[in-house]
Amino acid sequence: MTNKVAIIASNGGLFDAYKVFNIATAAAATDQEVSIFFTFEGLNFIHKEANGQLPMPDGKEHFAEGFKKANVPSIPELVTMAQEMGVKFIGCQMTMDVMGLEKEAFVDSIEVGGAVTFLEFAKDADVTLTF
Amino acid sequence: MINTNSVLDAKGLACPMPIVKTKKAMNGLEAGEVLEVQATDKGSTADMKAWAESTGHQYLGTVEEGTTLKHYLRKASGEETEVKKHEKIISNEELLQVMEENRNMIILDVRESAEYAFNHIPAAKSLPLGELEQRMGELDKESEIFVICRTGSRSDLAAQKLTAAGFEQVFNVVPGMSQWNGPSQKSVNE
Repeated sequence: MTNKVAIIASNGGLFDAYKVFNIATAAAATDQEVSIFFTFEGLNFIHKEANGQLPMPDGKEHFAEGFKKANVPSIPELVTMAQEMGVKFIGCQMTMDVMGLEKEAFVDSIEVGGAVTFLEFAKDADVTLTF
Repeated sequence: MINTNSVLDAKGLACPMPIVKTKKAMNGLEAGEVLEVQATDKGSTADMKAWAESTGHQYLGTVEEGTTLKHYLRKASGEETEVKKHEKIISNEELLQVMEENRNMIILDVRESAEYAFNHIPAAKSLPLGELEQRMGELDKESEIFVICRTGSRSDLAAQKLTAAGFEQVFNVVPGMSQWNGPSQKSVNE
């Protein structure tokens, strides 16, 4: 009864990151096979330096306190947790080339590929989400 | 106080952490064992039900204690597929008729105590299968014994054990509590 969940992360804000990783870890905990394709600003989520300081949307900075109060895990923690649970990360090669980034700048054991790498996984996914 | 095999403290954690931790804790349990998850995330009740539904585990119920929600889950056991060997079988409907006759009888519920707590037949005695051998002495050999569980498999094993121990009037109730629509009650406040 394993389902496949394919997620595209293409925006780089903190709220976007939570949407991506909450759904991804919840799906992995429910015995689903999950892959996330990180492209354009979404690549920041798995960038070792950037993912600890993702921006809040303009004017929403006051939510920082709410995040702390609700004891929400940090994005780097969620990244580690997702990987431990077998969520597969695919970094977009084209974006990395455009931004002049190497694979070493990202968290370990990501796969780097083009759109087709993701499409190959997503073609028979039961759930596909774009954030 | 409900007996369980393991307790997970997920208090103070926000979604999706209670589910993520539950998944990990469940991996460490044997099939058929019961886990208590303590959480303060109000969304966790709906999440636990949905999670159990998709993973095949059994959601037993939730007890609220102050701000803490205690969720009870039983690990999937695949027991439904086992072949039943005890020959004396009666249906749920037949048991209901017997109950109305006020005979000298015992309804023996051999599910885990957490399952019993959330839904059982009012007159039923709780004696989990794992404790049957030590506690068999509590049962009267002259009575008819109607053994019940969720689907008829654990009660089948229990009926065989009782027969081997010299009990003569032992009946397995099939299918059991999963399809029970006679009188029932719980011994916890939800």
